[in-house]
Amino acid sequence: MAETTLPEKKSGISPGYIAWLALIGILILIGLVSAVMVFWKGLVLTNMSDTVPWGLWITIDLSSIALGAGAFTLSAIVYVFGLETFRPILRLSVLVGFIGYTSALLTLLLDIGRPDRFYYPWIYWNVHSVLWEITWCITIYLTILILEFLPTIVEAKIFDRLPWVRKGADILHQATPALALIGLGISLLHQSSLGAAYGIVRSRAIWFKPSMPIMFIVSAVAVGPALTVAIAYVLEWVTGKRTIPHKVLITILKFSGFSLLVYGYIKMWDYLAIAYYGNTQAVSESLSLLNQATPYNFTFWIFEVLLGILVPAVIFLSSRFTRNPALVVLGAFLAVLGIIINRWNVTVSGLFVPLVYSPGMLFRPEPVRYFPNLYEWGLVVGILGYMLLVLTLGVRYLPLFQKEHARS
Amino acid sequence: MNEKKKRKKKEVRVNLTRRDILTVGVAAAGSAVVAPLITSGPLSPFSGLKQQIIEGQESGHEEHPHGEYHWGMIIDLDRCIGCEYCLRACSAVNDVNPEEPWNIVVDEETSAGVPFFFSRPCLHCQHAPCVEVCPVQATYHREDGLVVMDYDRCIGCRYCEVACPYDARRFNWQAPLYENPYVPTWGVPEVDRRPRGVVEKCTFCIQRIDKGLEAGKMPGVDYEATPACVNVCPVDARIFGDLNDPESEISNIVSENPTIRLREDLGTDPSVYYIPPEEGL
Repeated sequence: MAETTLPEKKSGISPGYIAWLALIGILILIGLVSAVMVFWKGLVLTNMSDTVPWGLWITIDLSSIALGAGAFTLSAIVYVFGLETFRPILRLSVLVGFIGYTSALLTLLLDIGRPDRFYYPWIYWNVHSVLWEITWCITIYLTILILEFLPTIVEAKIFDRLPWVRKGADILHQATPALALIGLGISLLHQSSLGAAYGIVRSRAIWFKPSMPIMFIVSAVAVGPALTVAIAYVLEWVTGKRTIPHKVLITILKFSGFSLLVYGYIKMWDYLAIAYYGNTQAVSESLSLLNQATPYNFTFWIFEVLLGILVPAVIFLSSRFTRNPALVVLGAFLAVLGIIINRWNVTVSGLFVPLVYSPGMLFRPEPVRYFPNLYEWGLVVGILGYMLLVLTLGVRYLPLFQKEHARS
Repeated sequence: MNEKKKRKKKEVRVNLTRRDILTVGVAAAGSAVVAPLITSGPLSPFSGLKQQIIEGQESGHEEHPHGEYHWGMIIDLDRCIGCEYCLRACSAVNDVNPEEPWNIVVDEETSAGVPFFFSRPCLHCQHAPCVEVCPVQATYHREDGLVVMDYDRCIGCRYCEVACPYDARRFNWQAPLYENPYVPTWGVPEVDRRPRGVVEKCTFCIQRIDKGLEAGKMPGVDYEATPACVNVCPVDARIFGDLNDPESEISNIVSENPTIRLREDLGTDPSVYYIPPEEGL
């Protein structure tokens, strides 16, 4: 039982822990202030406009859902493909997924103009809308994540006195393979549809391409598990306990590294087909506009490709580097950053290029430079605080790394 | 030894999976039974809820389903003098925020450098990207071809704004507390202001079309049933009417003049036709 992190014996609350909680509290407070202000005054407080109706918050939605992809990937690996070796990381990955999806929904709640109608996609269906499908998939998948995680929650000490709850959870636990299977299908759907949300918009030349959904899902499958591994390493440092066998973590990193290369490969052909060989007028105008006014090229090549794909792939695939946890965490950090920059670039680059629809030669709307303001950053800070809070409490009070209790 | 154990485990797992596949199968069959119940029930998007919200739609053309009319507009760029009366009348009648007009008028130039004026209402595309992307069908096609909004349903996600190729949509970033300088000089509001947090757009003045038809008036012919921008134009640069009727004024003009539609390459099939300036574009 060396693999337990439950602070059963030494549950003394250290000053460091209190300071950490205080920091989280401040982050959440900042987020709350921004949220209340935006609810009160409206989205006019943000820097978004009719020209750039989507901004930082959409980037955060897309990123946190992509980074939660470790849950469905690893669940599928264990339950659908039967690779039991990876079971020890399952609970952590589901927790990370839960954090990602709830963060996305929280941000979305603030981003839509009418939060009071957030459930409308469930009542009024537009089956043609990619966004409708995404909303359905995300809410269904969040439910699956919660169901997958409930058995872990009821193992916590509080439920010692409520055996009937545990019995119910046991029954639920039997259904986990089915949940993992459904989760796999639904995740494959919505992780790609998030890209399709841009890929189908034919009025924006640099969005409109079939590679968009594919790049979104492959990047999510690559980076989601790597983030979970990095969190496992960090928890190891913080708690001082080896929680998940390093062999397991390293194998997952290999998988992530390989997936990153696949992502890079698709991205390469996408770039060549769209920007090099098929350099259509609309695309080349868009790209030159972007490069004149924004560091698009720089962020694309340096953050998305070099630091976001190549460097982490090298780290994850070389057994010399994966032996060094610090390097692994750095690699995962870079890959995560690459994903966030990519989602930002996709969102803002398409909106930055003005729509040209007039039959004349003169009227070309000015491109609107968008940069998020303090309210927008404030909410993101708060979401970060929420993420850290759930992770901290989860690690402290839930048996994330205990072996599943014996059941023959 | 180890391998044996593994194999055993695997066998157990296979059983589990089989049962789960069964479970999934049963669930799928269940959904297949439940789905039609839901789609034809009160939860259905087709239950006609939205029709009731728009006034006066029950009468008249429900008896003539699907396309008795197809409302369209011609904007004659050769005639337009850029007076912006259309913008003002539109803003007054629909009580639009003066900073974010539905109907824009801008200075333009042909490729030969000849100046002209370009104006743009909503184009009411028959293959409208905004209708396609709305997750809740808050924006939808009416039977008469109009693309309209259900402001009681819009959740404010702004995907339609992102998808519209013509920048024809406006989001209410704040409560509609603006002063409307065009009232009452250019008209009186005929519809309520839209609340904060929803997307709004030009409707071709459906309030007039629907009430007019009810009273036996013909949009495009009778003043009361015709959009404000068309009525107010001092040079008759805008013509409104039924594109389905080959005898209507608009159909005649479309067939007798060279016309263009905006960004036809996008396949949106707009209901607004432009007559280019005489010098060409």
